[in-house]
Amino acid sequence: MRTAADLNFKESGIISEIDISHPSSKRIIEHGFTPGQIIELVNRSLFNDPIAVSIRGTLIALRKSEADCIKLK
Amino acid sequence: MNTDAVLKVPLLTLVGPPNSGKTTLFNTLSGKNYKTANYPGSTVEYYTSRLLSNYNLNAELIDSPGIVSLFPESTDEKVAIESLYSHPDLGTPDLVISTVDSCQLSRHLLLPKQLVKAGFNVLIVVTMNDILAKRGLKVSENKLSKAFNCDVVVINGRTRQGIEKLIESISNNLKKINDADKKNILPNLAVQNKKELIDTFSDIEKIVDEVYIPLKPKEKINLNSANKELTLLQNRTNNNSFLPDALTLKIDRILLHRIWGFLIFLTIMGITFTSIFWIAQPLMDVVDQLFTSLNSLVHQNFNSGWFTSLISDGMISGSGSVLVFVPQILILFLILGLLEDSGYLARGAMLIDKPLSKIGLNGRSFVPMLSGYACAIPAMIAARTIPNRKERLFTIFIIPLMSCSARLPVYALLIAYLIPKDKPWLGGLILGGIYLFSMICSVVVAAVLNKFTKRIFKSDSPSSFILELPTYRIPKFSTVISNAYNSSKQYILKAGPMILGFSIILWFLTYFPNINPEIDTQGITIEHQINIERSERLQSSFAADLGKLIQPLMTPIGMDWRIGVSLISAFAAREVFVSALALTFKVTSEDDEDQNTLLTSLRDARIEPSGEKLFTTATSIGLIVFFIFALQCLSTVAVSKKETGGWKIPILQVVIFTSLAYVMTFITVNGLRAIGIQ
Repeated sequence: MRTAADLNFKESGIISEIDISHPSSKRIIEHGFTPGQIIELVNRSLFNDPIAVSIRGTLIALRKSEADCIKLK
Repeated sequence: MNTDAVLKVPLLTLVGPPNSGKTTLFNTLSGKNYKTANYPGSTVEYYTSRLLSNYNLNAELIDSPGIVSLFPESTDEKVAIESLYSHPDLGTPDLVISTVDSCQLSRHLLLPKQLVKAGFNVLIVVTMNDILAKRGLKVSENKLSKAFNCDVVVINGRTRQGIEKLIESISNNLKKINDADKKNILPNLAVQNKKELIDTFSDIEKIVDEVYIPLKPKEKINLNSANKELTLLQNRTNNNSFLPDALTLKIDRILLHRIWGFLIFLTIMGITFTSIFWIAQPLMDVVDQLFTSLNSLVHQNFNSGWFTSLISDGMISGSGSVLVFVPQILILFLILGLLEDSGYLARGAMLIDKPLSKIGLNGRSFVPMLSGYACAIPAMIAARTIPNRKERLFTIFIIPLMSCSARLPVYALLIAYLIPKDKPWLGGLILGGIYLFSMICSVVVAAVLNKFTKRIFKSDSPSSFILELPTYRIPKFSTVISNAYNSSKQYILKAGPMILGFSIILWFLTYFPNINPEIDTQGITIEHQINIERSERLQSSFAADLGKLIQPLMTPIGMDWRIGVSLISAFAAREVFVSALALTFKVTSEDDEDQNTLLTSLRDARIEPSGEKLFTTATSIGLIVFFIFALQCLSTVAVSKKETGGWKIPILQVVIFTSLAYVMTFITVNGLRAIGIQ
């Protein structure tokens, strides 16, 4: 299954679920990543990690290892 | 009602996620007339203030650290949230004022939702309605108020629009609440069920759909924005949130460009770094001059004696070494404040996170580490922005390895000693090499220390980097300036006394017991005489005894007790090393030729019994290596103690870095000798 970490530059996706076994999952949900939301990969850094995604009208930067718990439809 | 209740001033606590306008509101309500305090037993800070008197309302106001939810993750968050439920000094708040960004309701309403559920009396303050208005929308106070069953006020913290209404609402709320039905709210700090969290968000989404209403035509700012509104409305996703700010996205196309973004970041950081150096230097010279002339004033007007020396060399010089760092601290925090307030700092952290995460640090460690090349003191204070406790302590831990500007005079002297007079360019090359070497070494040391961080810092919160990239905006100068002022003030008040104390102890060690050395005064000027006296005094002082005590340690690295004394004196501040060397080697002239005379006497210096040359190429390079690693700065130790909240980390730093310096010097000196370089 694809996750937010697999998004290509400028690609968007709809969140299907959050892997709640991931240690950062609570923080990720608290920032508004919930099922049904549309996210888009807006920027990457030189090392492709962390990535910046848009969610609920805001930009959030997060590490790929953490973006991995955001599962996409 | 008992008298206690009458006398008690109601407590208002401000809470809100980062970037929700909380601090701007606090500044408006307090008039920036606030006190900083730490929660007991922690380094987490909060601000308290009385509400401005012109609001005609007597209440205590607390600004708590920014939190996203009521369920803590890190140790620091736990402290902040426990104190929200029951403040150690001020108790449970009578009213919690929760700020939310009007453009980010669907994210920011999580906190007020949890606050209401926990049983607090809540007042929701909706901020940044001007930005929402540009999108042709406004927030319905009535609908939001009904949905949350609490008062809602829309304000603009920058233009103060809506503040009067807020005050009215606060006083109405306080009237409603009397002590009898003030609930005893118990903290529920258990990890919240994540499913429940997702459900809370769906509830909020339903509410948010209702509360956004289009502006009436006459409320619209101009036709332009009306046109924009149409496109923006069509762009709304899920009906409850917008696309991110269009201008921000445009700027980020450049500033967060994969390649250009990184180059721009390096340039901005380079400029920041050099300005701490170059802008602060003249100001630091002024401070230095001021204390030097104050010193000579004391010497001229009082009889020479131990008391005069205590006043001048101990106390005045000690205060000088506290205040000399203030220009650097001020300038660093002004620049960082501007970068932070504009929204860039979060992006910089994102760009550099990956390489730093490899050695157990975080993107936010970069700015403090870079500042460490100017001075470790503002650098350690700047590390407060790192939310993860382990990463913050680790950053503070390795900051002394960054080659700070106080090492420069030492390097300059030793390089001047090493290179032939006709090749000054070689000096620049060596200096560049020293910086490069120190940078590589700090990475290696950090990577090695990273293996032990669990044992050193006793914190196991997993490394994480989730950071909101705020909308770009023009920084508010008054806030930036008052924050820089407050950081400097705190440094003076909290680290100052300790630095002063240490300086006086050091003065004592270098002055006593031979306070009136006997010297031959024939045929020399008074100035000359004073210098010889000082030199004699130092050579027969407790510090010299200490130096002789560590002679067995100095011999293996090709040095003797005289360098030992200078190294001990250098603990007051590294640059003192040069003047202490001059004193121990009886360089008594104080004119511009100072360095040359010093160089000559260094060339002539011999190790006593054997008559070998003391300052050889090998020992000089060895000394440079020693200064690269050693933590020889009492001010740094004092600040490290304050910022880490205990003696453990500063003591470990001194022990680890100074013994590392010793070992590295030993390897360098003996290695060079082994390959035939004396």
